[in-house]
Amino acid sequence: MEIDWGIFLEQFARTFTFWWVILPAIFLGLIVGAIPGFSAANTIIILLPLTLAMDPEVGLIFMVALYASSRLGAGIPAILVNIPGTAGAAATPLDGYPMTRNGRAQQALAISFVSSVFGGLLTTLIALAALPWLSQVAYYLHSVEMIVIMIFGISLIATIAAKDTLKGLIAGFFGLMIGYIGADVVYETPRGTFGFLELYDKVPLIPALVGLFAISEAFAVLEGESILNKRGQAAIQKAGWGETIEGVREALSRWWHIVWTSLIGLVIGVVPGAGAAIASFVAYQQSKTFSKTPELYGTGHIEGLIAPESANNGVTSGTLIPLLVIGVPGGATAAIMAVVLTYHGITVGPDLFINQPNLAYGPFTAMAVTYGLMIFTILPLARYMSRITVVSTVYMAPIIISFTLVGAFVPRAYVFDMYLALIFGIIGYIARKTGYHVAAILIGVILGPLLEQYFLRALRISEGDLMVVFSSTIGNILWVLLVISLFVPALADWRRKRKKAAEGGYDVEGC
Amino acid sequence: MADPTSEDKPKKKHLGGELVIPVGALLFTGYYFTTIIDVPFSAQVSAFFVGSILIFCVILLLIRSFFEIRRGEADLKLGSLIAPTSYVPKRLIMLALTLSYIFLIQWGGFTITTFVFLLLSMLTLNEGRRKGLILFLAASLALGGWLLFIFAFETRFPEGPFEILMKGVL
Repeated sequence: MEIDWGIFLEQFARTFTFWWVILPAIFLGLIVGAIPGFSAANTIIILLPLTLAMDPEVGLIFMVALYASSRLGAGIPAILVNIPGTAGAAATPLDGYPMTRNGRAQQALAISFVSSVFGGLLTTLIALAALPWLSQVAYYLHSVEMIVIMIFGISLIATIAAKDTLKGLIAGFFGLMIGYIGADVVYETPRGTFGFLELYDKVPLIPALVGLFAISEAFAVLEGESILNKRGQAAIQKAGWGETIEGVREALSRWWHIVWTSLIGLVIGVVPGAGAAIASFVAYQQSKTFSKTPELYGTGHIEGLIAPESANNGVTSGTLIPLLVIGVPGGATAAIMAVVLTYHGITVGPDLFINQPNLAYGPFTAMAVTYGLMIFTILPLARYMSRITVVSTVYMAPIIISFTLVGAFVPRAYVFDMYLALIFGIIGYIARKTGYHVAAILIGVILGPLLEQYFLRALRISEGDLMVVFSSTIGNILWVLLVISLFVPALADWRRKRKKAAEGGYDVEGC
Repeated sequence: MADPTSEDKPKKKHLGGELVIPVGALLFTGYYFTTIIDVPFSAQVSAFFVGSILIFCVILLLIRSFFEIRRGEADLKLGSLIAPTSYVPKRLIMLALTLSYIFLIQWGGFTITTFVFLLLSMLTLNEGRRKGLILFLAASLALGGWLLFIFAFETRFPEGPFEILMKGVL
């Protein structure tokens, strides 16, 4: 499969003529991305009658623009009120929210927008150029490799919750056990459901997300008049355009960080099922591992915000690659796009690039144009968006509780899911107050069903031989990398403490 | 004057709160295992693998906590979980209001129940001050939510008398 650069440029020019579809999709995507429970996938489903009625090319451009902008929108509440709009933005508040509390919400938003847009734009262009090669990644990753990738995801938790690795692991594996609730995929046997029929189909992710992040946060912020600390309150009062420019400058000065963390997102995006949540945590962990100042992560560190935002936008183009090249959707939104294309009688695969290049390259050029237009539409809004942080918690907490609980209701229309969100809220509140990371629990809930699925598949292929998990070369390399990723930060931490102790007498933290 | 000896004494860690999640995880894992005893091997193996690691980690934490308590560095008080205690009543009231909100929304629908919830919770948290502003906020947010999500986007929100009435009118 070779790229015809003429078609590529022609396609770009053509995509620009669809600005009238892209702009409304951007605004819609930003709104739905920012509201927990209103993912891009759900919105595209709601708007399916509209998309199906459109010309396939226009429909595809609309869906792609909505998808890319919702990914960016999800980071806004994550930074401002510690509530990620989607699971893909779950790593964003780790450093984004502390920046807000310090009165740097406007800078944090600008950094997030620049990282998202440039990360998304860069990976889209790379994806476009490297389509034939990147699509091969999916062929090399089978059940065994996916098991290692999943456990790799969980192992990150230990290093993310670096203050106490043991607590991080407990939170992550507790999340995995919660993710195992429901009927198993082979025999449909209900497990750990407490007798609730609503849990047979696994724990729904939106109530888990809403509860762990939004509800728990709403109960936690009741302690103060504002989510901002005193320094933050003073800083936000005098914020002007300068803060947005400062954020842009801070992000651009770390351009290399945007580049390599967005590439992590692109590669992970190509793996079907891996998704933005894993990508953002992997990027965050890698960013921290290779940082000269890892102790600053979690305190409002700029690179800690750039990494997840660049990576989760890098995923957006990655998920489209296996869909268009081999017909395997890389995620939920890509799967819905596949449904729309099938409805129009379009067969995805290598032939599409020869027979209908507009449709094959179109999604990528649409994504690039979307990112290009988005920076001009959203950046000026950072100043006004950051003002939300001055709203008193007296008003903010009830609003968060009521609107996000209803958001938990939306995907399945079960009142049960609202109760479930409240239960997750209580778990999240206890976790927050006692030093367990809610993001660690959430990533466990996300990965649980996937891990089990790959585990069962590998066991069926190997006829029950557990050693199958060490049977692949790629898998074994990944196992080694996993062990390294767990021990390198611990070793670096130990060395830092030793050095500190040698310089300053003794270490307060001890062991 | 502060007692100098009390200042020198290192503060004890309160581990009671920190043990809630691990103990809860342990109990849940135990319950989960009881539900998979009689299922086929392939439906058990993944959960046993993950559950065993979880139990191992919890046991490590419990051993660590035991030694911290034995050394006098920690106790079993709830500590940060309930601190600051002055906010406990407000939190409990909010929890009760939230439970009532979920319970009533299936009959009252989104708009009416959200209005009542916002009104009561904001009044409670604001200790009865600024009634006019709160009434305006609760009404405009509930109506705005209906307008945006139910009317404009036709989202599946819980429906009640108001939503049904408006459907008939519009």
